Amino acid sequence: MALSARAANPRQRRPPRYAIAIGIAVALVLVLVASSILNYVYLDTVAGRTSLYGLLAVALTALGTFIGVRGFDRDPEQRRKDFIRAGVLLGLAALLWLLLIDVFIFTGAAGPTVAVICALACLPTTAFGLWVVRRIDRNEKEPWRLVLVAAAWGAVVATSLVIWAESLWQLIAIRTLVPGPGLDVSTAFSAGILEELAKGSAVVLLFLVMRDEFDDVVDGIVYGAAVGLGFNFMESVSYMTNLYAIFQPEGVGSYAAGFQWYARQVLGLFFGHATYTAFVGAGIGIARQLPGTRKKLIAIAAGFLVAIAAHFSWDAWLTLFPIEKTAIGILEIHLRTLIMTGPFTAAVLALLLLGLHIESQALGDQFRKEATRGSGAIMPAEVSILMSPWRRFQQRMRALSRGGLRAYFLLARLQTAQIDLAMEGWHRERQEVDTPLEAEEELRRQVAALRQQLAA
Amino acid sequence: MVAAPVDQVRTLYRTLLVYAAVSILILVAGLAEFAYFEPPGQHTGLKATITGVFQYDPASNTTAGPDRNSFPRSMLFAAVVDWSSLPKNVVVDARWYDAFGNVVGSVGPATPDKLASQTIIPVRVPPGFQHNLPGHYIFVVERYEGGVPVEVIGRRVVLVER
Repeated sequence: MALSARAANPRQRRPPRYAIAIGIAVALVLVLVASSILNYVYLDTVAGRTSLYGLLAVALTALGTFIGVRGFDRDPEQRRKDFIRAGVLLGLAALLWLLLIDVFIFTGAAGPTVAVICALACLPTTAFGLWVVRRIDRNEKEPWRLVLVAAAWGAVVATSLVIWAESLWQLIAIRTLVPGPGLDVSTAFSAGILEELAKGSAVVLLFLVMRDEFDDVVDGIVYGAAVGLGFNFMESVSYMTNLYAIFQPEGVGSYAAGFQWYARQVLGLFFGHATYTAFVGAGIGIARQLPGTRKKLIAIAAGFLVAIAAHFSWDAWLTLFPIEKTAIGILEIHLRTLIMTGPFTAAVLALLLLGLHIESQALGDQFRKEATRGSGAIMPAEVSILMSPWRRFQQRMRALSRGGLRAYFLLARLQTAQIDLAMEGWHRERQEVDTPLEAEEELRRQVAALRQQLAA
Repeated sequence: MVAAPVDQVRTLYRTLLVYAAVSILILVAGLAEFAYFEPPGQHTGLKATITGVFQYDPASNTTAGPDRNSFPRSMLFAAVVDWSSLPKNVVVDARWYDAFGNVVGSVGPATPDKLASQTIIPVRVPPGFQHNLPGHYIFVVERYEGGVPVEVIGRRVVLVER
């Protein structure tokens, strides 16, 4: 069986969490299929038909995710091929879904050019958001593959999961409730509960399947925020094209779409879905390191609860902060976001900072222990360098100037393997691993091999 | 005696529990707001007679044509209510909501007698716009209690086409 530096836990038998993951995945697929068929049969709209046709995109996403995840267990050559296949499938799924939404729902009214412009306008901001979110994990950055998978799930799967449920809720609500604040609150509950459950399911699956890349609260926040950014991307495109189509006959379509872009992709890039789903990730990340099933479940439930409340409060009480149609309105829009979502973003940042502090201390401790152990995987002189992202970067730059790009990347892989080893040691010390000790030895061998390659 | 080191993950866990407690308060506040605007036990069985939704001529304040469920965005329209079908002692109003939830036409609140001369309730085109915005419009006749609409006693949903 092949072992890898990243997958520190060789799988002699599948842990029970895989069965849970498969159960959740099957349930999600069934919900998606049922939702799509119901949309097709009962919602006499183009969106209803899109939902059914969108199953192909969802199937591609599921297949891409499966191949990508499977790749982690394979030898480097096969893994590379699997990742390329997974990337292509996920890319196709995202494009297909975009195409379906834009072509079938909005193109008729807004036109394909507008749809493409809206999507292109949202790409750089979302990419920037993902870059920032990944960078905040200063000790051990998550692989781009998983961050992008999380974002793709947020954009494609989560949006598909909520279409039917939200449509049904809204259909019943507008035919039974008194319009006004009561209806607004009902809609806000619908969005908060359904959207956070749909987005959060992706983070739960990552937690269950990719345990080696899901270490603590910091990782949870990164994955949660990535899912939120993906969802925000698709929602932004939908709102921009839809509002363009509505307002263009009045000559203000571009203004309406532009305002949506600014509100969702600039102001709301982090102050919105990214913040909400980061709470789900935080809850799961904390659960990762808690002893006992009861506490784990409470932490996960608490994460979902905070995400739902944060999302709900924005949707329900947005009208408490009316925006004047004057120059001061521009200031009011910013203040509204800051006042309503700012406290939640600050709260998730507090968890993040505390998580980073705990992680840094634990890694420092493990670096020192490994150096004292004398295995050669971490030298005493390397401890202070490994503890500082800046000093690690400086060391890589020195390697670059001495040995070129090869030396830079080899050193980067060595540093990553050393951090993985320390992370593995931390988890083992806390009794948070469900796999044999040989994984650590394998990591030490890989560090030694990388060190030899670097010296050569 | 040396104290055992504090597991900082517990600090994270407790912080999250505090957040969750605040979140419960937020959601309870939401439920309370919902209950205030949708008070239980307000179903009286009253039914307002909405004669129909028709094309509207603002110049003569009259309606024309058949009862319809959809209109092109360039066509003005109005609901017609028969207030005489309601008891004299209730307080009611009638409102149009556009697809964004904005009130785009209303009469009342008042007793049916006082509203007798306002049987036609048109949809107003938003200020600065030439036509109605597309989407589903909801027309409701609401019964008031304590100054708050508590029951919808008549409802129509109309589509304004793109």
